[in-house]
Amino acid sequence: MSFLTPFFLLGGLAVAGPIIYHLVRRTTRERMMFSSLMFLLPSPPRLSKRHRFEHLLLLILRCLALALLAFGFARPFLRQSPIDDPTAAQPKRLVVMIDTSASMRRDGVWAAARVKVEETLRRAGPADQVSLFRFDKQAAAIVAFEDWNRTAPADRVAFALGRLGAVSPGWAGTHLGNALVTAAEALGESDDGKSAPGARQIVLVSDLQAGSRLDALQAYEWPKGVELIVETVKARSPTNAGVQIVADGPDSSRATDAPVRVRVTNAADSKREQFKLGWTRLGNPQGAGVDSSADFAGTPIEAYVPPGQSRVFSLPMPKGGTKAEQISLRGDDEAFDNTAYFIPPAQQRATILWIGQDVAEDTKQPLFFLRRALAETPRVAVQVIAVAPSAPLLPADVIAACAIFVADAVSTETATALRQQALAGKTIVVVPRQGNIAHGAMLGALLGREAVRIDEAKPSGYAMFSEIDFQHPLFAPFADPRYSDFTKIHFWKYRRIDANALPGARIVAKFDSGDPALAEIPVGKGRIYVLASGWQPEDSQLAVSSKFVPLVWSLLEQTGGVASFATQFSVGDPVPIPTELAATGVRPPGAPADLPVTAGAAFGQTMQPGVYEVVGGTRVLRFAVNLDANESRTSPLGVDELEQLGVPIARAKTETQIPSDKKTVLQGLEAESRQKLWRWFIAATLAVLLVESALAGWTARRSTLQSKEAVS
Amino acid sequence: MSASTSTPALASAKLIDPQALMTIRSLELRARAVVEGFWSGMHRSPYHGFSVEFTEYRQYTPGDDPRYLDWRVFARSDRYFIKKYEDETNLRVHLLADRSRSMDYGSIGFTKGTYAGTLAATLAYFLHLQGDAVGLLTFDEEVREFLPARHRVGHLRQIMHALERPATGQATNLEAPLERINSLIRKRGLVALISDFLAPIDRLERNLIALTAGGQEVTVFHIVDPAELNLGIEAPALFEDVESSRSIYIDPVLARADYMKRFAAHGEALRAICRKLGVSYLQLSTAQPLEIALFEFLQQRMRRGRLFRRARSSGGSS
Repeated sequence: MSFLTPFFLLGGLAVAGPIIYHLVRRTTRERMMFSSLMFLLPSPPRLSKRHRFEHLLLLILRCLALALLAFGFARPFLRQSPIDDPTAAQPKRLVVMIDTSASMRRDGVWAAARVKVEETLRRAGPADQVSLFRFDKQAAAIVAFEDWNRTAPADRVAFALGRLGAVSPGWAGTHLGNALVTAAEALGESDDGKSAPGARQIVLVSDLQAGSRLDALQAYEWPKGVELIVETVKARSPTNAGVQIVADGPDSSRATDAPVRVRVTNAADSKREQFKLGWTRLGNPQGAGVDSSADFAGTPIEAYVPPGQSRVFSLPMPKGGTKAEQISLRGDDEAFDNTAYFIPPAQQRATILWIGQDVAEDTKQPLFFLRRALAETPRVAVQVIAVAPSAPLLPADVIAACAIFVADAVSTETATALRQQALAGKTIVVVPRQGNIAHGAMLGALLGREAVRIDEAKPSGYAMFSEIDFQHPLFAPFADPRYSDFTKIHFWKYRRIDANALPGARIVAKFDSGDPALAEIPVGKGRIYVLASGWQPEDSQLAVSSKFVPLVWSLLEQTGGVASFATQFSVGDPVPIPTELAATGVRPPGAPADLPVTAGAAFGQTMQPGVYEVVGGTRVLRFAVNLDANESRTSPLGVDELEQLGVPIARAKTETQIPSDKKTVLQGLEAESRQKLWRWFIAATLAVLLVESALAGWTARRSTLQSKEAVS
Repeated sequence: MSASTSTPALASAKLIDPQALMTIRSLELRARAVVEGFWSGMHRSPYHGFSVEFTEYRQYTPGDDPRYLDWRVFARSDRYFIKKYEDETNLRVHLLADRSRSMDYGSIGFTKGTYAGTLAATLAYFLHLQGDAVGLLTFDEEVREFLPARHRVGHLRQIMHALERPATGQATNLEAPLERINSLIRKRGLVALISDFLAPIDRLERNLIALTAGGQEVTVFHIVDPAELNLGIEAPALFEDVESSRSIYIDPVLARADYMKRFAAHGEALRAICRKLGVSYLQLSTAQPLEIALFEFLQQRMRRGRLFRRARSSGGSS
């Protein structure tokens, strides 16, 4: 038996008290009444060997109580062979997760993380199963369980460290929730399909920044028996500010040369709050944490952002035609998130050819409404070229036009030429102004067949759309029930077209009478739309309805003339490459070679921030890839937030750092706190005191009775 | 002058064991048991006056009361003679009984107080039978009760009652009763002081002088318990004073010699005072039969009577 506070055993010397007390009391306990003490002098108490202990049992009980009390205060415990972990005998299954997000690029963080990983790997026993994962936006295994098991136990750590050496922090954001779910599922999977009997642990080596995304954990039921050990690594300097572009939506009406809005975020534990923000030349090294304004293009603005806050600054576009695509922040300790790339969205230009007899400013003509519907916006400028049906078509106009509207009957030659364009991929929209033979002949020529019969129909009262194919891209934007009500658009008159005369046509909409209202007929690579009624007030209310403008733009997008292309992406985001570009590759920033890309597919290798260029297509397209804005939130995330999401946190053992003597003391403390033998000693003391009290009371009563008997 | 059972007259008599005597509950019965068998008769009165019994003549000296001249002798012999008579009057006895707390001590089954009370009752009964007037004064630290000396019906009963009352006193004050009795009694008589004298006796002599100077005959009965004589306790104990409740640890083995020495010195000092003043002193152990006390008392009375007569006769002849 050992004692935590052995000096309390000295209290056991107090048993001398009852012994002396019993000796002395033996001589003075009896009382004798005497007539007078005038002839008597006090005698000193005698403690000779003649005295025997009376009430020996009482004395023993008192001594025992004192001894037990002293033992209890000395905090005894039984020293056991050190068993640190009851589950240590069983092999553990361990997943080591190392953070490779952009925030790990901070000074000293990655090196510290590697040291932590190495310590963790070295602690693993020969029977333990270990897997090493890296994670940022995605989690991926560096060393799988199979690799670990396959390697000889002596070489496992070196093997894993060799694999880890090839890994460095990337530029992606931290999706910690996803990573933990992946790790937990990896732990759950076993070779034989059974759960391992030993402990299952995830060791997370990360800077655990506040910008880590944990939303994946909210809907995830954490498996039982899987513990998380958090090994946090810290940057040398807490100061970190980041810069992000406040992106405009694709439908933004802001001018393309409007000042760029930039958000500067300062971490909560930053020491600095004064920064400089400005345009820099593309390709400048990002590292510079120096407060140098020499590389700024133009005058930088002073950005004052207190720690823990973010502010949005408007950065005017540089004047003088300077190509500005990079915004840099200076004055920060950590450079990884100090650069943002900005590609201003270009105004798209499209041309529409209108063949009709309209007078441009006639408010009763359809052209008038078409021009108004295609008014210029900062993002798109549509040019409508009106050509009389009798006028010859200029080839340049035809080639530039993404869509050709035909409202009046044209000559057969013209129709044949238009058909060639449709076969080549153009979209031709036929809106017959009247139901007559001329129009029917033109439509037939366009379709490459005989004349189509087109009659003028005058419904009683009005007609309206009844069967609309909302699956069709034209009407897909109206598929939502809130927008799908077309009954308020009345058609006073329309052209009845025989649907049988349009083989292969897709009837997109019908009138309530059953006649086709809008039909799509594919022709070669292109297509011909036939709209049975005009939108001008003479024919219908379509032009003045709220559906008209979206419908026209939808048609325009269908033609591929105004395909919107976002220019701002985050690292790791897939970038959709427009089909009509027919691009062959994407050139990443600073890369010598292009990466192949398939038109219409998404380009997913946006691995680093910068300006990417889509090459090989009909035109050059540039887009900017920036850091995840959350990576700039580098203040530490509380471990309790993980616990709140149901992840059980186990504290990492740091016993290797404790000296052996202190370790012995700690083991003693732990054993004592576990055994709590002092409680038994105190309980025994109380029991002995109870017995002692009862015995003393009984003895005192008996003595009193004897004294009374002696006196009487 | 301690009592002795070697007296021939007493040795032949049957004595009552005090322990047996004290089992009698009634004090009067105890007294009667003691007195029974004793001679009862008249004492010679110390008073001289007009009495029927002529004692002697003496020649007249100037200053004598002319009332006592025997005119017949003068007629026959022409000489003046004073005729003296022996006055046969009752004895006036005052019993001074100590009722202090120290008298409650007893080691042989009864206390000194019981013994002293029985002694006082015995004397009172005896004297009452003789027709003497008996009075009683009880005291402790102060005078508790005083019954003047009388000889009347019921007086003895009052004395018995007074003696039977439980003692309420605490300490012993020998000065107060003596001063009080000295101030109360005018006529000559007998004063019997019954006490354990466990109190300072520095001023006892002065008070006794005052009494004897007033013509009182004083007899001192010093009551002691056998355990007080030789500290007859073996076990060490915390000794508690019954009067002051003060307690000290006493080991009798160690303290006995010193105690006996001091106790004997105290008794000797008391005896010396009595001897000096001609006061009868009788130390009575409670283990001694009471008849001894009565016998010694009467013997002393008789001795004093003879002494008195001798003194008178020698005085008359000169």
